[in-house]
Amino acid sequence: MASEAIPAKRIHSAAHDEEHHELPARVEPQVITAELIATTEAGRTRFRTLGWTLGILFLVGTIALAVKLVVDGGDQTQWGYTAATVAFIFSAFGGAPMVAIAPVLAKANWAKPLSRIAAIFSFASVITTLLMIPLILHLPPLVTEGARRRSIWFEGPDISPHFWSMVAMLTLIIAGLALFYSAALPDFAAMRDHSSGWKQRFGRIMARGWVGTTVQWRTMRMRIGMAGTFYFFTFVFVHFIISTDFGMSLVPGWRDAIFPMYHAISSIQAGLAVSVLAIWFARRYLKLEKYLHLDQFWSLSRLMFAFTLLWGYFFISAFIVFWYGRSSSDQMWIELLIRGPYIWAFLAGAFFIWFSPWWWLIWNRVRRSANGPAIGSALILIGLLLDRIRLYVAAWSVPPERIHERFLTEIPKTIWPDITDVLIFIGALAGCLLIVLMITRIIPMLSVWDVQNFNLLYRPINYMKTRAYLIAKPD
Amino acid sequence: MTLQREKRQFSWGMAVDVDKCTGCQACVLACQAENNIPLNTPERFERARVMSWIRVERYWEGEFPDIKARFIPIMCQHCENAPCEPVCPVFATYHNQEGMNVQVYNRCVGTRYCANGCPYMVRFFNYWEPVWPEALRNHLNPDVTVRSRGIMEKCSFCIQRIRRGVRKAERENRELLDGEIQTACSQACPTDALNFGNLADPESKVSKMKNDDRQYTLLPHLATDPNVVYLAKIDPEKAVKGGSSHG
Amino acid sequence: MQQRRTIDQIHTNRVLLNGQLDTPKWWAPTVIGLGFIVIIGFLVIGIMVNKGLGVTGLSRPVFWGLFITTFVFWVGISHAGIMISAILRLSQAEWRRPVTRAAELLTVFSLLTALLFPLMHAGRPWRIVYYILPYDFARGIYPNIRSPLIWDPVAISTYLTGSTLFLYIALLPDLGNLRDRTSGWQNALYTVLALGWRGNPRQWKLQTVGGILLSALMLPIFVSVHSIVSWDFAVTPAVEGWHSTIFAPYFVIGAVHSGVSAVVTMMALMRWLWKWEDFIRPEHFDALARLLIVVATGWLAFTFLELIFAVYGLDAPELALREMQIFQWPWWLLFVTFVLTGYVIPVGMWLQKRVRNNIALMFWSSIFVNIGMWLERFLIIVPGLARKTPFVYTWESYRPSGLEWFILFWSLTWVTFLMLLFARFFPLVPLFEQKESQTFGDSIKIGRARVPAILREAD
Repeated sequence: MASEAIPAKRIHSAAHDEEHHELPARVEPQVITAELIATTEAGRTRFRTLGWTLGILFLVGTIALAVKLVVDGGDQTQWGYTAATVAFIFSAFGGAPMVAIAPVLAKANWAKPLSRIAAIFSFASVITTLLMIPLILHLPPLVTEGARRRSIWFEGPDISPHFWSMVAMLTLIIAGLALFYSAALPDFAAMRDHSSGWKQRFGRIMARGWVGTTVQWRTMRMRIGMAGTFYFFTFVFVHFIISTDFGMSLVPGWRDAIFPMYHAISSIQAGLAVSVLAIWFARRYLKLEKYLHLDQFWSLSRLMFAFTLLWGYFFISAFIVFWYGRSSSDQMWIELLIRGPYIWAFLAGAFFIWFSPWWWLIWNRVRRSANGPAIGSALILIGLLLDRIRLYVAAWSVPPERIHERFLTEIPKTIWPDITDVLIFIGALAGCLLIVLMITRIIPMLSVWDVQNFNLLYRPINYMKTRAYLIAKPD
Repeated sequence: MTLQREKRQFSWGMAVDVDKCTGCQACVLACQAENNIPLNTPERFERARVMSWIRVERYWEGEFPDIKARFIPIMCQHCENAPCEPVCPVFATYHNQEGMNVQVYNRCVGTRYCANGCPYMVRFFNYWEPVWPEALRNHLNPDVTVRSRGIMEKCSFCIQRIRRGVRKAERENRELLDGEIQTACSQACPTDALNFGNLADPESKVSKMKNDDRQYTLLPHLATDPNVVYLAKIDPEKAVKGGSSHG
Repeated sequence: MQQRRTIDQIHTNRVLLNGQLDTPKWWAPTVIGLGFIVIIGFLVIGIMVNKGLGVTGLSRPVFWGLFITTFVFWVGISHAGIMISAILRLSQAEWRRPVTRAAELLTVFSLLTALLFPLMHAGRPWRIVYYILPYDFARGIYPNIRSPLIWDPVAISTYLTGSTLFLYIALLPDLGNLRDRTSGWQNALYTVLALGWRGNPRQWKLQTVGGILLSALMLPIFVSVHSIVSWDFAVTPAVEGWHSTIFAPYFVIGAVHSGVSAVVTMMALMRWLWKWEDFIRPEHFDALARLLIVVATGWLAFTFLELIFAVYGLDAPELALREMQIFQWPWWLLFVTFVLTGYVIPVGMWLQKRVRNNIALMFWSSIFVNIGMWLERFLIIVPGLARKTPFVYTWESYRPSGLEWFILFWSLTWVTFLMLLFARFFPLVPLFEQKESQTFGDSIKIGRARVPAILREAD
């Protein structure tokens, strides 16, 4: 950020007490390939324990979901926490691949080593999609007794929200797969060439004859660009659908044009947080300091800070309009979503997603470390969960018979989670992490070719009396 | 700023029985004369700059020949939660302690923001300096300010009459009687469709009308809490009950 | 695309200071001509204040019209400066360098112009002092801080102060440069203005730190200004189409769209008028056009959300408004023009590399954007008022009077006039930024290829 102008001397003194603040010495290309491919084998026992734990938790969550379907099936108001879980998982893990798109769309060199791990998180959409099925079963119909409720499907067929939300989620999975696979070809080829056993065979099949010709590289870059753009637009569209069909349109009188954007902004914020936590764990347990520098944490947390402020801005933009407008539906919005039954979720959520990361990440020293951004990320994720609970539990708690009112005249009571809600959340989270974990076993979690690329483009030099970098920006 | 209605000594309000309104426009004329409102020339109509603190809106219902004219008199609703008040940058319009939304001509700088904020369209802007024909100069009401150009004006519930009435009662050392104070429009109304009085007094005519079954307010979804209430039209054929602003 | 070009410092000095040291022949007649129009404009405004607002086309439902539209338009244009010089500075986009000063200047002058509009638009402008300054100490009556019309001048004047400081700090090295190259009264002027600039390391350090700090501090103000302008409208549930939560970010991104386009217009003019082909190069237009594609597409998404959630409620008055705005004559023509000129035509053009590198086409595309963006504001403000609330009895239309149109075009003249006047005394392209970019640009040899690279201090 401000690097070019802040006098070098000051920065040196400030940063010297931090660990590894200098760019590590360049790693030889062969070493990069060997070490990164080795990560898919590292820590077998630990991996096994973790995998089993997550698997069992996922199973417990599935059972809890089945129990809930039997117990609460048919009662819409009880499914708010499941909706919040879907929204949370989709927001957090669906937002992470945005980091993978950054180097393509904004020529952000620093994000290159992260592109793989960020793209892997798009696989979590599978869990989101599965968990959406019970929600779709409980979503009130568009037309009841001849009266049409407000929704974005104005004159569409009755099953529009149910059908299109599923289509959108499936498209998102496809987009995520495309994004992941289009950038994975060279690494599959590297596995083919540098490993043995089933991995080699698997790599050979997946690499699809990759040898790294100029044409192949050019095609691949183009594919990543297209898949990235496709993912981005699908991502925004799915946010639009989820936020309106599973949130806004369930509350009579909630008309909030900024809500889909607010949803997407907080999702990118959380996606950055997920990426930070992922590379923090990678550094800590897989010893990848050589490839994951503080520069990555620094850049990610800077963006996280910006998105934290944007969360506040988008929230205030909606709030001030409702608060000042004070028409009945405006007052209802404030009562239901802010100061009414979910004030605890609102206050705690705003504290964790906005206030605390704001005053934590504002410090350059915090940003320029590994633990600081990780703490900030944890705060943001907690805040996101609370924020989603506030929005979705409140929306689902509105009884279906009130859905046709012009605005909500009676605010429903707080709905607290029961044990199945908690287990479903834990199970879904475990399922997502399990998928991510499994994938890091079959392909290096840091993209080999991107790390190589990054090392080529970043060059520390001596400039006059100070040290400097030359950063290449190829087209 | 706003006091609870019950705690006030006076809380002026109006009850409009739409069923009785014949659309005769006597109220409009009376208001025009009482409050020194400039003449609405054809040119003003063309430019849509008509000033009329009270207006009788006319709507057609049904198709010819089975058609009915519906009338609804609309004046400043003197909302308790007036949308025009918070937006004025200079406090030229504010809520007084008698439940009225008042306009301070001296303070007004003419941003016209209040007029945008008002959903009932009852605020008027002086685009030109007002002029009266020579013959009418001496007919101006001395109790009412003549507004200059560049400021907003609106129905004041004939505040000059209210002040005079209250002072008179004080001087004579007695309680104010219900119906003693009449606004120009309610005085002129031949069918008693317009009724003015003190809403803080539960025995007053307007208070009783306010509790009528037919009672409704205009644009209730905006939660402006008006001090003007309407009593719905009784339609023998349809037996429609209140709630619509289209009378 | 960024080929490196080496331009030596003597050439830089000579060419970029030609406005001051070697004033072109067209300058004096142009400025006198524009000055004449400017004076007429002030006379017209004087007449309007003298006669009253009856001379405009405003009516009862349409209390705000072309003046407020133009106010929002100029506030929007003013977002160019901080977008270019602060955001791009913080994100270290190298291509911003030759544009920064012009963009900041546009900010300052367009804000000054924007401020004129609410002033002359008030019924009694001479009393507006009530409005901004706390007064009447005896009775303790202050301006109503609940009113968005109080937030407006606060935000705008803060933004104006900040932008002026920002502009001035960035001017210091060039003022020192000019002081050393002039004599007589000019020398005296620059000596005073340069504040003793000698270009020693400490001064450079302070100058850069000041710039960085101001960039960071100005960002929230930048966002707040247009948000507050949007809240002038959005807080009002009474007007259909205004009470939308999306207004703040929608206005801000629209402002960036129009502001950056205005910078493109200005760059093309500067390149043509002062013959700065060496410094304002096609790759700068290319980079700006790429940025604009992203901004414009984001803005389109907001426009889409604004429209869809207007209809979402399916309230009859709102539908009536949208029906008029999009389908009724003459509004539909404005709407179609707005969509075409605001997005379809310019973005369609920018998607082609040929256009991005063609200065004349870039100039016209940026003009299109600003026509579209002006119409956008007009279509937000006026139809909502004309179709206000369900009281169809009071629905009206609006036709701006000739005087209003004249003042709109006068404001364009006025900003151009101020720009040209400024350009006579101060360089429009920052010399030191230009030289710095020469120093920071480098290249890396990777394999057999040379890749352009940028020098960054180790931190």
